[in-house]
Amino acid sequence: MDEINTNVSRRRFLQATGVTGAAATVALTIPGTNPERGSAEAQTRRQPNTVVSKNICHQCPARCGIDVYTTDGRVHAIHGNPDHPIANGKLCPKGPLGIYILYDPDRWRGPMRRTNPQKGRDVDPGFVPISWDEALDMVADRLRNLREAGESHRFAMLSGRGWGTTDIGMMGQFGALYGTPNGNIGHSSMCSDGSMKARFFTDGNDSYNAHDYRNCNYLLMFGCGFLEAFRPYNYNMQMWGYMRGKKSPKTRVTAVDVHMNTTLAASDRALLIKPGTDGALALAIAHVILTEGLWEKSFVGDFADRINRFVTGETVTEAATPGPMEDPETGEMVTPEVEGEGFVPRWTHGLVDWWNIELKDRTPEWAAGITDIPAETIRTVALEFGSTRPAMAIFERGAHAHTNGVFNAMAIHALNGLVGAVFARGGMMYQMGPSYGPLPANLADYRDDYAENGPWRQQPRIDMQGHPDGYLLARNMQQEVGPNSLRGEPYKLDTLLFYQNNSIWTAPNGQVWEEALREIFVIDTSPFPSEAGHFADLILPDHSYLERYQDCGPMPLEGFAHAHLRVPAIDPIHDTKYFGDVLIEIGKRMGGRMAEYFEALESSENVLRHMARGFEANPGDNGVDGWDAWVEKGIWYRKPYMWQLRDGTFYEWDGIDYARPMDAEEVKQRLLRTPSGKFEFRSGRLEEHAEWIAGATGRDPATVMFPIWEEPVHPGGGDLYLSTPKVALHAEGRGSNIPMVIAHLQPTVGGRGEAFVEIHPETAAARGIRDLDMVRITSDVGSIEARCRVFAGTRPDTIVLPMEYGHWASGRWSNAVPGGHSGDCTVNQSDRVTGQCMYYSTKVRVAKA
Amino acid sequence: MPNWGMVIDLETCTGCQACTTACAMENSRLPGENWQDVLFYSEGEYPNLNISWLPRPCMQCENPSCVSVCPTRATYVDEGTGVVLVDWNKCIGCKYCMVACPYGVRFYMDEAPVVEPDVREAFPARGRRTWNPPFRMPDEYEDPSKGIGIQPSGVVSKCTFCHHKISQAPEGVADLDEDNPETREYTPACVRVCAPKARFFGDLDNPESKVNELIAEKGGVRLREETGNKPKVYYLSGGGSPVVPGSRSRRG
Repeated sequence: MDEINTNVSRRRFLQATGVTGAAATVALTIPGTNPERGSAEAQTRRQPNTVVSKNICHQCPARCGIDVYTTDGRVHAIHGNPDHPIANGKLCPKGPLGIYILYDPDRWRGPMRRTNPQKGRDVDPGFVPISWDEALDMVADRLRNLREAGESHRFAMLSGRGWGTTDIGMMGQFGALYGTPNGNIGHSSMCSDGSMKARFFTDGNDSYNAHDYRNCNYLLMFGCGFLEAFRPYNYNMQMWGYMRGKKSPKTRVTAVDVHMNTTLAASDRALLIKPGTDGALALAIAHVILTEGLWEKSFVGDFADRINRFVTGETVTEAATPGPMEDPETGEMVTPEVEGEGFVPRWTHGLVDWWNIELKDRTPEWAAGITDIPAETIRTVALEFGSTRPAMAIFERGAHAHTNGVFNAMAIHALNGLVGAVFARGGMMYQMGPSYGPLPANLADYRDDYAENGPWRQQPRIDMQGHPDGYLLARNMQQEVGPNSLRGEPYKLDTLLFYQNNSIWTAPNGQVWEEALREIFVIDTSPFPSEAGHFADLILPDHSYLERYQDCGPMPLEGFAHAHLRVPAIDPIHDTKYFGDVLIEIGKRMGGRMAEYFEALESSENVLRHMARGFEANPGDNGVDGWDAWVEKGIWYRKPYMWQLRDGTFYEWDGIDYARPMDAEEVKQRLLRTPSGKFEFRSGRLEEHAEWIAGATGRDPATVMFPIWEEPVHPGGGDLYLSTPKVALHAEGRGSNIPMVIAHLQPTVGGRGEAFVEIHPETAAARGIRDLDMVRITSDVGSIEARCRVFAGTRPDTIVLPMEYGHWASGRWSNAVPGGHSGDCTVNQSDRVTGQCMYYSTKVRVAKA
Repeated sequence: MPNWGMVIDLETCTGCQACTTACAMENSRLPGENWQDVLFYSEGEYPNLNISWLPRPCMQCENPSCVSVCPTRATYVDEGTGVVLVDWNKCIGCKYCMVACPYGVRFYMDEAPVVEPDVREAFPARGRRTWNPPFRMPDEYEDPSKGIGIQPSGVVSKCTFCHHKISQAPEGVADLDEDNPETREYTPACVRVCAPKARFFGDLDNPESKVNELIAEKGGVRLREETGNKPKVYYLSGGGSPVVPGSRSRRG
């Protein structure tokens, strides 16, 4: 097996771990890893030694099913799983490169502890190998001591890309049994919580959307990189091929961003908007939809006399809705017809107030002055979007990772309310969950008195999530963990475990984290070296994704339920352990009820087998009815999605069609989960917290509940907006060390070998910068260098540098890429309402290096 | 005997480069050795600017200029498939073929690597191979006489239309379509991976093949017809954003 450990002689240590020679036979004995039928026969005729195992790609959250081809013990190909409803046999450019991740020569060989108490970028950690027993005992002893001292809250676990029950689910369980509010602090605030919260505040669902692209006739896209970064990317491209190639009528697309990219280029119309002003564009589109009478009346409602009174600059009134009354002749209770000229809402709440307070003056001419997009263009887009059904407005971080992001995002999602896209055919909906079986033990039965009532109960989360002095309404505030601990507010962490997480690098202004981690005992569980690993005191390396069993819960797709499984293609190459089992093994060493719980779980594979029992009573459309079939297929799924809005009525699937009408209470419980049970242009949840928001942000409590225009604020002290997008080849956590990725990262500007900063020709000329010069990018928090591509497709007031490189401890290839990390000059600034980390709000100065 | 050809639909191609990476992994290519490259162009000025792109495999010409210039007859047209191949046992690395090829689809990798440190050092050479990654194709697929597998030093390499796959296809099939379980394993990697299904592969001599249907219905064009090379790769551009640069430059 020399080809697997080719660089072994150059490592300081090698723990040979029983891979040698055995891998081929092991792969063949994995139960039920038969490839799908036609392929199996074809493959076997050619290569009797080839085994195809099922797995789920790990390079973004989309959960594409993959077929992993292993011949004579070597994994040599990854193809899309043809029987998987996300992958459909296809892959994005990242998918095939997963083998590089498996055979990354820089992977950790086994557990290690730090011998050098000093920590720093240029400090050698002095790692020495230790046994798994030593490592796990060390963690358990430390955590037990912390608990005995009544300081268990000072233990935190941070997750990056989590997958399901046996990883991040296990973190939450561990935290609940141990007694810490910091059991699993997710990274969602550094991802796109602003998007989820905007939906939560308007349609009541704290989630990303699932989409019915197949039936959509108009897509309006705000800062979401549909053909680069929007998820599920592979599936998006499949839908793109259908919408733009086969579908009749061809789906029309308008895309909004701050620089020209493949998404904008492939769309019918590209709008290069001023950063942070997407909300103004959305408000003007809403204004035109209303003044032109194009809103979906069956969903939104209408004026009582059906005459449109939405006139620019003029207020309207809501009709007084009479309650049910007794018919004097028949004695039945009836709801009388509303009379007069007021507006009668149907499935929406607050449109009249929104119009009167905000929308009536938000004309295309007004928006043109803010967005840089001509009024006539805005009007055209609004007329197209408003008159084409089904139409959808989709958005992500480009639009909302700004100081006014919550309002930008709400304004965009409000467009979906106006055209009745939520839960409609060709519109958007929310993801249903799978029917897993219960775990081997019930957690509530195992919580001891300390876990129930210990002093940790008095402590806030380290990130101040859910706290009135911090981020009352946020889901997570991971970007605050490092800075808070360093300041000792609310307290200093003692022990910090990273799972699939490298926030010392990915958080904005990560320099602060470097200070913070010097005084914390850090445990990293990544299979790979990273900046977090460089500051770690203990390395407990995970298997790579091609070496482990792991469940992956659903990410939004088309709404129907699905559940995925990773099946190892080969035995682990190195002395690694699946993270879920690391937690279980630490738990078993904790003693008391906690240990009993984890003894009952036994192992992550045992947990997975119990979960799969849920499929027995509820088999998938692909026949998956338990563990063996789940291993064989890699996915359980059940179609259809259960609900649909049609002509103003919500229907539930009755087994044949969307035919059973739902009443208002059912809609409120299942679909429009807002306080009013309606789509809220006036957000009940924000209104409930209006005083807190006003106090925390200085905003007017009378208007914080509406999608309003708020001028964005740009810290950093510079004169150019810094946009740091995710590109197509950004393979989460590991793309930076894949040579094939480095060779192809940024094709639109001819980028090969590094990440280039795109600068408009005039902007470059004014600073004496020529194409391919190294430039210095500086903000108040830091300064980096990057190589310039002079590019006429980027706005003159904006520079674009993909967030990808500038690593200093992540492996030989990533460390060698020239140029700095955008995060080093990104100001750490969070939205007090959504918790969203505002990655795109910083302004920088640029000069020739 | 099939006459394999490819159709690439620029109307639905998203410029994602999955064809490039899938090819590289299938054929054990080095970073930057893009047998299946995607070329990007930009035209115009802010705010009215567009990017277009062109996926570019070997055109597998019927009348290939690379073959006629080869002094050692290392480059040849394979009889069973009609594909242009390089016999690495005969190639002397003179690069005449690289100069003669109108499409720039031949590679000589014995110079500075595109990505440092050189991936060949991480997976050092063994035997004839210039590098030896564990993820290289199964040994049985390799065939230096057809330029398949990891090359020895000093030779030119090129796209083989995944010869090791297509040459095993069942006899008489009109198309090698990844959506058909019977032909999936014989479909070239770049076609099989393509998410928007912008690529089609079939027998140009079979009038009922899907590739012939598309060429006829959507007006398939070949690049640089004026060379007389007669490529077997056809492009469709049904009015979408990506267009064939050749036709566009003539217009401008």
